[in-house]
Amino acid sequence: MTTIAPPPTVEAPPGERVPRRIGSPLRPRDFGLADAGVLAAALVSSFALIWVVFYQFTLLSGAFGFFLCWYAAFLGLYWMVTAQAIDRFAATDRVVSVVMVTGAALVLGLVVFIAAWVVVKAVPHLSWSILFRDQKDFIPADPHILHKIGVAHEIVGTFEEVGLAALIGVPVAVITAVFLTEVRGFGTRMVRTVVTAMSGLPAILAGLFIFSVFVENQLSRYAGFLAALALFILILPSVTRTTEEVLRIVPGGLREASLALGSSEFRTVWSVVLPTARSGMITASLLGIAIAVGETAPLLFTSFGSSVMNANPFHGSQGALPLGIYDNVRQAQPVLIELAYVTAFILFALVATLFVLARLFGRPRTTKVGTMARIRSLFERGNHATVPTTLQSVPAAPHDPPFLPDSPRPRP
Amino acid sequence: MTLATTDPIARTPEREAPAHRAAELVATGVCAWFGGRLVLDDVTLSMPRSMVTALIGPSGCGKSTFLRILNRMHELVPGAQLAGSVELDGVDVYSGRLRATDARRQIGMVFQKPNPFPAMSIYDNVLSGLKFSHISVDDRDDLVEMSLTKAGLWNEVKNRLRELGGALSGGQQQRLCIARALAVQPRVLLMDEPCSALDPTSTARIEQTITEIADEVTVVIVTHNMQQAQRVSHLCAFFLASENEPGRIVESGPTDVIFSDPHDPRTLDYVHGRFG
Repeated sequence: MTTIAPPPTVEAPPGERVPRRIGSPLRPRDFGLADAGVLAAALVSSFALIWVVFYQFTLLSGAFGFFLCWYAAFLGLYWMVTAQAIDRFAATDRVVSVVMVTGAALVLGLVVFIAAWVVVKAVPHLSWSILFRDQKDFIPADPHILHKIGVAHEIVGTFEEVGLAALIGVPVAVITAVFLTEVRGFGTRMVRTVVTAMSGLPAILAGLFIFSVFVENQLSRYAGFLAALALFILILPSVTRTTEEVLRIVPGGLREASLALGSSEFRTVWSVVLPTARSGMITASLLGIAIAVGETAPLLFTSFGSSVMNANPFHGSQGALPLGIYDNVRQAQPVLIELAYVTAFILFALVATLFVLARLFGRPRTTKVGTMARIRSLFERGNHATVPTTLQSVPAAPHDPPFLPDSPRPRP
Repeated sequence: MTLATTDPIARTPEREAPAHRAAELVATGVCAWFGGRLVLDDVTLSMPRSMVTALIGPSGCGKSTFLRILNRMHELVPGAQLAGSVELDGVDVYSGRLRATDARRQIGMVFQKPNPFPAMSIYDNVLSGLKFSHISVDDRDDLVEMSLTKAGLWNEVKNRLRELGGALSGGQQQRLCIARALAVQPRVLLMDEPCSALDPTSTARIEQTITEIADEVTVVIVTHNMQQAQRVSHLCAFFLASENEPGRIVESGPTDVIFSDPHDPRTLDYVHGRFG
């Protein structure tokens, strides 16, 4: 309950300093037991009101419409009651807060629902053998077949395809970002435009491009490395742009200091700019890889997918986790649909691991240098010396990535 | 540990002993443009060996530009042009005989804002200039200690050399930057308002450092602090730019003359704080 109370007067004994509490006269954010009561009452009464109107008077039906009307009535009622009990200012504040909280809860609920759905569907069928077997022993009618098949071939395929894509993509992206921020020579604007345009490229077109260049021209058959090339096209713009942002916030004073010491411009970039931006660049790369891990469309006609193990990314079609989900969930075999959920769970865990790693590397650095100190600091939670360094840790992306394996890629 | 007597770089035969390494810097007819606008007009100034020369004058009169011309940092600014010559002991730093990187190694620079490399330890920060230029050193520890001692920082950091440079206070960071600049054994050290971001104690410490290193390196310092110019400099040059006019040197000479009995009334007004 918001109270308009005079600030409590504390009588300080002479010669002794007592901290005085200063109560502000108007605090609409105060929320006590009585306010919770008002909130609950508004909820219940609006429910009753809408139930009567919705189902008894107007013979409307449908849960969705009912909830919508209930919510609107609740907001109106809550505003009126709070305006009576306190004032209009506090009422508006409360109603806006309620709208914010329900909006946030809705989004969070969706995320949790998707995650929980995958977990609930997958956990009953989880077993270690799934990680080590492929689908070559699959027999359609056998109800216990899930113990004899697995997704090892898809895990291997995903790691090889994404690994190759990162192996090509990250150095190219870093070089491009260095060109955009440090060299700034002829054609910078054109390169930036192309990179921006590439980040809007539909994922399936990347696959189609590789398909038309390699497979249609019979330069290569379906193979894992074609998928890696398609994924490379997809992660290049993302990693480039994030790395560019990271390099841009390296203070110009450091470049000047290095040049003033008599080092060449290459040395300045290599020894000063890149090490300073290192943690941000690692985060950028990991987020780019996380994007690539979840992509399905570019794999459809590059690595094609496979139900048996093929560890050679340069020959023959190869499976991948997202492709496995896509293929299996469309089958008329309940066992394969169960397997698809298990695959989704593994993919989910993989992406979550990448995000956690990205967060760990994106942290502010400790005062001690050295790999061991750094590794140790990862385990000593809450023991990070917060020292104001000249360059604080670099936020990897302008937004926090949601913990979703299939979150849409940011397309600026 | 004895100081300066064990100078690791000086052991290489082609280098002279530190006391004689300080060089004279002579700028003749220096003009500077930014994007076609003349900002510095016909500046001629001699900065003698082992002396501290202070450049004073109101903001925007071209002092920093002049300073950055001296070690070829000016040419890094897009659209910047210049004319005139800068001679380091008779060798024009803009001629083909010296590469820009060599010129900058011999004419070091300390900036207004402390800028230690945040990804490096204090130790590596001091050695960074040598590492960047691929200069090998016999005894790194000696050089680090010597440079930090000259910059007046050794006692404060000798037990934490492996910590990051960014963990130091502002004044310590600036002294680390001075140590870093001194470690490559420059012949001239340019300082662009090195104390403007620091508290009085750190300022005093850095002024003391300037006085101590002046023997072995010629110092050119830009400052807005008249007392500082009086305290640390032997020579003084007063820059002034009137409205829509490029900066010029109004007067230069021994510091005590500039501050007590200058020829130009504008100099007297400025050093006594009557304008600017």
